[in-house]
Amino acid sequence: MGERLPEPHPLLQVTDLSIRIGSVGENLVDGVSLRMNAGETLCIVGESGCGKSLTALALMGLLPTPPLRLMSGRAEFGGQDLFSLSSQDLNHIRGGEMAMIFQEPMTSLNPALTIGEQIAESVRRHRGGTRTEALDRALEMLRRVRIPAPEKRLGEYPHQMSGGMRQRAMIAMALANDPRLLIADEPTTALDVTVQQQVLDLIRALQAETGAGLVLITHDLGVVAEMADQVAVMYAGRIVESGPVAAIFDDPQHPYTIGLMSSMPALGARSGRLVTIPGIVPPANAMPKGCRFAARCPFAMPDCAKAPPLADLGGGHRVACWNAPLEQAFPAMAVAG
Amino acid sequence: MLSFLGRRVLIAIPTVLLISVFVFALQKFLPGDPVLALAGEDRNPEMLAFLREKYRLNDPLYLQYFHWIGNALRGDLGISLRTQQPVLELIGQKLPVTVQLAVMALIFAVVIGIPAGVISAYKKGTWIDWLANIISLSGLSVPNFWLGIMLILLVSVKLGWLPASGYQPLTEDPLQSLRTMLMPAFVLGSGLAATLMRHTRSAMLGVLQSDYVRTARAKGLNERTVVLKHALRNALVPIVTVVTLLFGELLAGAVLTEQIFTIPGFGKLVVDAVFNRDYAVVQGIVLCTAIAFIAMNILADALYRILNPRMRDQ
Repeated sequence: MGERLPEPHPLLQVTDLSIRIGSVGENLVDGVSLRMNAGETLCIVGESGCGKSLTALALMGLLPTPPLRLMSGRAEFGGQDLFSLSSQDLNHIRGGEMAMIFQEPMTSLNPALTIGEQIAESVRRHRGGTRTEALDRALEMLRRVRIPAPEKRLGEYPHQMSGGMRQRAMIAMALANDPRLLIADEPTTALDVTVQQQVLDLIRALQAETGAGLVLITHDLGVVAEMADQVAVMYAGRIVESGPVAAIFDDPQHPYTIGLMSSMPALGARSGRLVTIPGIVPPANAMPKGCRFAARCPFAMPDCAKAPPLADLGGGHRVACWNAPLEQAFPAMAVAG
Repeated sequence: MLSFLGRRVLIAIPTVLLISVFVFALQKFLPGDPVLALAGEDRNPEMLAFLREKYRLNDPLYLQYFHWIGNALRGDLGISLRTQQPVLELIGQKLPVTVQLAVMALIFAVVIGIPAGVISAYKKGTWIDWLANIISLSGLSVPNFWLGIMLILLVSVKLGWLPASGYQPLTEDPLQSLRTMLMPAFVLGSGLAATLMRHTRSAMLGVLQSDYVRTARAKGLNERTVVLKHALRNALVPIVTVVTLLFGELLAGAVLTEQIFTIPGFGKLVVDAVFNRDYAVVQGIVLCTAIAFIAMNILADALYRILNPRMRDQ
């Protein structure tokens, strides 16, 4: 994969994506818009149940419908709207130009098929060629994800491998057709801490090698700090803050983002209690009408009964909060911060 | 795989012996005297004593058992009290008939039940699913004898397409043999197909929701490959179990089906032997059936290992 010419269009542009369960209630994913350029890493961060995985599954056309329903939205990938493609055209893209890694390496591989077969079938699906050629490519991919004894692994079944090994095999499978976009849904959450770092390093190295764009879904701000170019913070189905990684970490504006940052344990600080955000995420059947974070927000005010728009603070830094920028709403904060 | 099969066969030997003890004991404790049945109207004591001596019925039980099992191991299952034919010969005559019926019924069940279950799981909640469920429920609810009689009335009597009864050995006239067996096999297989459909459906519903099926879709594979290669293969493990269990139902159903279509098979042999207290025949039949069951289970275990690689390492 050589250098690509700078593209006039973003690699992926999602506009106003909404997903609902059944036909009643509030949207589980509500008006989500995302944008990323080729080769970039976009991290979607948030607690479990905030809709980040649903967003990813929707992009891949993998939402279980029913019970879930795509209410609105466009997702342009390479100039085509993913949501209006025929299933045939979508199958052409997924696994090829756009691939996905899942959270659970233990259950995401087919227990009845060898690793080699599972990678090779994807290669044959998108590139054609003989079985032998596809298996050669599978072997090459296993080498690239640095699985020890790849020749042996080719004929092994998932249960014969450790979790980290399986996730490497998943990565090999996802990258086998040189995708332009890789979606990774919590790829390290189910792994041991020592293995997590190795897998993240591997993803980053392969991304640099292939120039693929990466949508990385995580709840771990440490991972975000390490991997992201762009960040989107989701809360209860909405994006509450987004922008370049530096802006989000240096100058978090949404009270939820600030809460997330301060609940992150710092290394070495052994004294004191961990900071938590009081309250719980509203359940899907009882979403508040206005700002969904208001009930847990220390700065909540009457205006918060209306949903705040995602407003641009400049430099691509967007925040959905009536108080943003905080320095203006609470001048004392600027001094304190 | 061969060493696995060898081990399983070795383990099966004590099982068969244990079953043989049960079979022997059960038979002895049943009420009724076979000698009386044999002697018929002629009940003079000398005749009865002679018969008891002839069939070693005066020996202690354990001697009778050792005598019987010793002969059985040499392939001699005794002589039928009723027809005076060797039991093994009787079984050898009747078994192929029932095996043909059972195999054809099983083919019907698998060819109808598994695809119907797959389609109904895949189309869950649609009219196709409803239709498949209604048909399967009727398959389960309609008794074999009724379906058999109705089919005979329609297909044989009214339309004259297939013979209503009888049996033609497969070796003599294969086509006629298949034609004769078609309707009985369908009758016997329909209930099994319904059971199989319902189990396939539920196994597929579980598997279709699994993460690896999602992965298969994420690879851009077409739905056919996703369903048949990724989902069905994994759903087959519980389905094989069901088929093994259905084997018993199949044999029981064969008895009835053979009566309806007057097929001279194993089922008729069983019924006649039990009614006439033909000890040797009943023992031989139960022993053969038990061995067939064990063989089916070994076959199922072998299939598990083919279908589920995780079991190969155990």
